[in-house]
Amino acid sequence: MILVSPAFALVGIFVLFPLGFAVYISLTNWPLIGSEHFIGGRNYSELIHDPVFIHSVLFTLLYTAIVTGPIFLVGYAMAVLVRSNRRGSVFFRTAFFLPFIVGLATESYMLLLELQPDSGAADFLLGKLGLAHANTAWTVHYGLALTAICVFVIWFASGLTMMLLMAGMQGIPQELYEAANVDGATWWQKERRITLPLLRRNIALSLIISVIGSFLAFNQFYILTEGGPGTSTQPVVMWIYEEAFVQYHLGYATAGAIALVIVVGIISASQFFLLRDEKPRRGK
Amino acid sequence: MSAVALSPARTRRSRRDRAGTYLFVLAGTLASILFLLPLAWALLRSFMPNNLVTQAPSDSDFSHLTTKNYSGLISANDILHYALNSLLVAIGTAVLTAIVATMAGYGFARFKFRGSGIVFTLVLVTLMVPFQALLTPLFLEMHSLGLTNSLFGLALFYTTFNLPFGVFVMRNTFLQIPWELSEAAAVDGASTVRTLVSVLRPLVVPGIATTVLYAFLFSWTEFVGALTFITSNNLFTLPLALLNMEYGSVGQVNFGYLEAGAVIAMIPCVLLYIGLQRFYIRGLMSGVVKG
Repeated sequence: MILVSPAFALVGIFVLFPLGFAVYISLTNWPLIGSEHFIGGRNYSELIHDPVFIHSVLFTLLYTAIVTGPIFLVGYAMAVLVRSNRRGSVFFRTAFFLPFIVGLATESYMLLLELQPDSGAADFLLGKLGLAHANTAWTVHYGLALTAICVFVIWFASGLTMMLLMAGMQGIPQELYEAANVDGATWWQKERRITLPLLRRNIALSLIISVIGSFLAFNQFYILTEGGPGTSTQPVVMWIYEEAFVQYHLGYATAGAIALVIVVGIISASQFFLLRDEKPRRGK
Repeated sequence: MSAVALSPARTRRSRRDRAGTYLFVLAGTLASILFLLPLAWALLRSFMPNNLVTQAPSDSDFSHLTTKNYSGLISANDILHYALNSLLVAIGTAVLTAIVATMAGYGFARFKFRGSGIVFTLVLVTLMVPFQALLTPLFLEMHSLGLTNSLFGLALFYTTFNLPFGVFVMRNTFLQIPWELSEAAAVDGASTVRTLVSVLRPLVVPGIATTVLYAFLFSWTEFVGALTFITSNNLFTLPLALLNMEYGSVGQVNFGYLEAGAVIAMIPCVLLYIGLQRFYIRGLMSGVVKG
């Protein structure tokens, strides 16, 4: 079919071939210059004994564990706030969603200034509240950098969760709430008995998108901490990038990447099971 | 009798409605400030002279707002050149994605052919493969094809990873079209291509607008791919140019310039989103939630 061939060609060149190629690279000691040697699974066995890689995996999991809940809760609260079409709700939706639109890279550059000792707004505001010294250097301290980046990402990503949940909330028939009103249901009862169950698919989708986004975190860490101090704030994608394009261990880096593909693939694929709905399946 | 019975209930209800409205406005306003203030603050800071930017906010003097950061950034860092690179890649990505996704969406919606299910699944697989994990094979492959250090190569790469979304949106768009229209055109002797171009266009434009908007914003804000595939300074996109200002410069970072550069990167996103919001939300509904 001619119409779909350009799409298929691009997917073949930029996804399917690299995917297969990656498996091969990961089984070699691919150097930047010169020829590679097939070394079998040695990269993988080194990987699981590499403290830097293990740390990046654990760090990514920790980061994901910290931000996922708050992103969901803030997003849910905002969705509840703006789901009805009152005056002002379109403005509020836009306001909450803009941080997501502008993008993490751009905003990381903005945040960089605000995390500087003495001149940043972070020290200023927290100093006023008596919570920080005016010369706290956020980006060079593991705990502080992680805290700042988590708050930053919650601010950035909640708007997307809000949009995804709001889309589902608006699809719930209004009659259900009216019937519940007649029965004298409280707000919380309606939320728990009507909204949450009917929102199951949207909730699953927003959580999957959020978790995958966290697993693939790169921009904010690269720009704000460069993985430091040391490699303490280095997420997995940055480990891959550094290992491949700074250390030139292409085979080794790709072995780590394959692990990431598998994990993200499994989470992605889980949505097809979680989101399988009552509707008849699409015809073949 | 019934009117007497109803009215207290009604006043109670309207009072509660009004309290609800106040609460809505109050909570919404507070949250909006929380979400918009950092961006507005960055905008304000970008107009402060560099020696004030690097002082504590309490000492900052807002009476000396100036466009010096912008003019300095243009003359010393050639920011417009990098903005143009970003713009070229973003427009290229948007146009390519629109063309390829429209063709494929039409093909998948309209025709059943051998293996169409498999091809469609393969396109959707792209959705599950994070490009961040394919940087090494992609770099080696694109390097040997001459597509690294090439804005066109970067646009092709971005196009591919926008395709699952684009194809899905376009397929849904075409599925919603009453096909009698195109059959009438076919009866009148229009070819497949002609049908696609002239008869369906008015119905399809919103879907294309959605695809274009997503592709543009993706390309404009993407970072790690550009970082990997573009190493030559004069081809840097905006996020890379800003990185260069952060790490590449000898000595101190000029935060006034960096802030101004970030604002330049932010403005198109804000304007495009506000202007084309309904297409964005449409895409969210049909491409993500249904997908």
